[in-house]
Amino acid sequence: MLDFLYQSAWGAFTIMLFFQIPFLIVFFYIVYRKTRTDSGPSGTDEKRISRIEGLWITLVVALFIAVNAISIKYMPTVSTAQAATSGLDIQNVDVTAQSWSYQISERQFEVGRPVRFSVKSVDTMHGFAVYHPDGRMLFTMMLMPGMEQSSIIHTFTEPGKYKVRCLEYCGIAHHLMQDELIVANSSE
Amino acid sequence: MLNVVTAIQRTPLFGSMFSVDESTGLEEINAWPSLMVMTSFVWLAVAGLFGVLMPITQLLGMQSNLFYTAITAHGAALVFPFLVQLMMGVSLHRAGSCMGKPATGILTKLTYYFMNIGAALLTVAILFGLKISYALMYPLPVVGVQLGQWSMDVVVIGFSGIALILVAVIVLYPLQILKMLFFGDQREDLLLSPRTLNDPGMLGMAMAVFILLVMGSPILIVASAVLLGLYGIVPMEAISWATEPVVFQFAFWIFAHNLMEAMAIMVISAVYGTLPLYLADGTRKLYSDRIANLALWILLVTSVTSFFHHFYTMFPALPSALAYHGNIMSWGTGIGAALTIFTVLATIWKHGLRPAPGIMMVLMGFVLYVLDGVSAIVTSNVAWSFQLHGTMFASGHTMAVLISISMMWMGVFYHHYPVITGRTLNQKLGNWFIKLYMVGAIGAMYAMLAGGAAGMPRRFAAWNQEGWMIYGVFILIFGLILGASLFVFAYDLLKSSDITTIPGEQATAIS
Repeated sequence: MLDFLYQSAWGAFTIMLFFQIPFLIVFFYIVYRKTRTDSGPSGTDEKRISRIEGLWITLVVALFIAVNAISIKYMPTVSTAQAATSGLDIQNVDVTAQSWSYQISERQFEVGRPVRFSVKSVDTMHGFAVYHPDGRMLFTMMLMPGMEQSSIIHTFTEPGKYKVRCLEYCGIAHHLMQDELIVANSSE
Repeated sequence: MLNVVTAIQRTPLFGSMFSVDESTGLEEINAWPSLMVMTSFVWLAVAGLFGVLMPITQLLGMQSNLFYTAITAHGAALVFPFLVQLMMGVSLHRAGSCMGKPATGILTKLTYYFMNIGAALLTVAILFGLKISYALMYPLPVVGVQLGQWSMDVVVIGFSGIALILVAVIVLYPLQILKMLFFGDQREDLLLSPRTLNDPGMLGMAMAVFILLVMGSPILIVASAVLLGLYGIVPMEAISWATEPVVFQFAFWIFAHNLMEAMAIMVISAVYGTLPLYLADGTRKLYSDRIANLALWILLVTSVTSFFHHFYTMFPALPSALAYHGNIMSWGTGIGAALTIFTVLATIWKHGLRPAPGIMMVLMGFVLYVLDGVSAIVTSNVAWSFQLHGTMFASGHTMAVLISISMMWMGVFYHHYPVITGRTLNQKLGNWFIKLYMVGAIGAMYAMLAGGAAGMPRRFAAWNQEGWMIYGVFILIFGLILGASLFVFAYDLLKSSDITTIPGEQATAIS
């Protein structure tokens, strides 16, 4: 469950709805009630409203802390650091982005073996986004020319053809800036 | 002043919607604001045309060049000349009528001219080939010249336009507001709704213009240096520091992020100022000024440095500590928003509400703003950002923040409309506008957010991959509904009827 929520964009979408839907229900209930069915002043005493205020802020702060604290484990920066110090055999790949293609030092990878993508751009802003064969995005990196290589360690868990796309607008052929990575089982 | 009033009256079609009431003697707080609001709606029409063109080029499989022209022109027309100018116009009227100071003078004039000449130059540059997308993806403008995508001439024209707009937004307009808030004598004849800076309805205005002045300064310095180099006034070697992508990107996002935050703080302040006027029991007070002001201060403190969330995916170019700081501050804005939600709902609960179209536009805009805020904080979590950044999710957030703030300002303008023009609007049409706008805005927002969750890239002329076109179809449908709502709004303005009561009394009562 947590893996779905924190490791997929649809998980993020779900969390977004988790916050939005209760807000919509409460907001429209109060506005509807106080404009249509009971538009006069409410008899609710100040102390009760004040208690609700305290509860509301406590709830919001607690939820915000919980959601973000759990996310630490799933931050690519953290997982990259953990993989780098894990002692596992990491496959190093250099990627250079230039309008409108990628130079990738290695395009074949094994399931379960961590891959360190060290990526840079040599002309303008580019992106390096890796897509799962089912179409969802696994991760993206923003590349600024003139900066050192950005690097991330990712471990592919399924075989297949993974698409690479540029997600930073880079000119009139931006949408054509794509490539492909092949991931196979280690026995294949 | 007469010239401004006449200029509005003589503008075809739009003139009759925004012509200023000359019988009240309030032209000094009405004329320039009305001209700005009118011109902003002209730009909205331009932005709408290019906005609809975007999905159409994709659905019909037209040239990708057209899509990139449309997206660049749509963004150029929508953000500054429409939304920022709408905010400028309405806020200048609010500042004038609340402080009893004229919204006239050289700063106001220059703000108007710089904004619109700048926007026109940028649009010309785009139509002649400058396709730099919604945001300024520096160093793309220069790389585009090197790769033969567009000429250096259009870059110089476009940058000149951007520079004029930046001067208007970062310097001229904030100085005019500060002049009205802190300097000059108060005039009783212009004072319609007295307020002090302790009032949440005014505090946010002061905060917002300070944010623009301070957080806009870096990009103004960098842009000025680049422009001097492009004009050949100083050698390019002398300003090479300004052309470093990292310098430009950080200066740009410090400004661009805080521009949105400043606009949000200012419009939330306007919500605080407007809501009490529609309370059913006539108390004209918020549930708590203290909590409302606290919310504004939290929004100010947290939002200023939360711009780092634009750079998470540049790890390790952005140090992790700054990324975590951006994450915490971004979610911190949610605390300010939570206090605002509480204040708004507690006020309505305690005092009841008269559901006039103006305040309902403001409240529905506020709903959109909160929905958008949730999408914003979700994508500003470091873990999710790596799966959402660069997708339509980010575009959905950008579009939603723009249209939510637009709706709140349109509501505030609707509220002030009788004072400015001496005419009243049709409630039925106002309610229709709200319904259509909400359907269009929420539908388009969720279509874009869902597209992003499905991996659909933003600013991308090939929606026909991976089944993304379906999101494009929904974006077009809801975009057209949004457009229809704006036609209803414009028709309402066009068919407005004269106030039959004594205008001065009406004006005072409404403000």
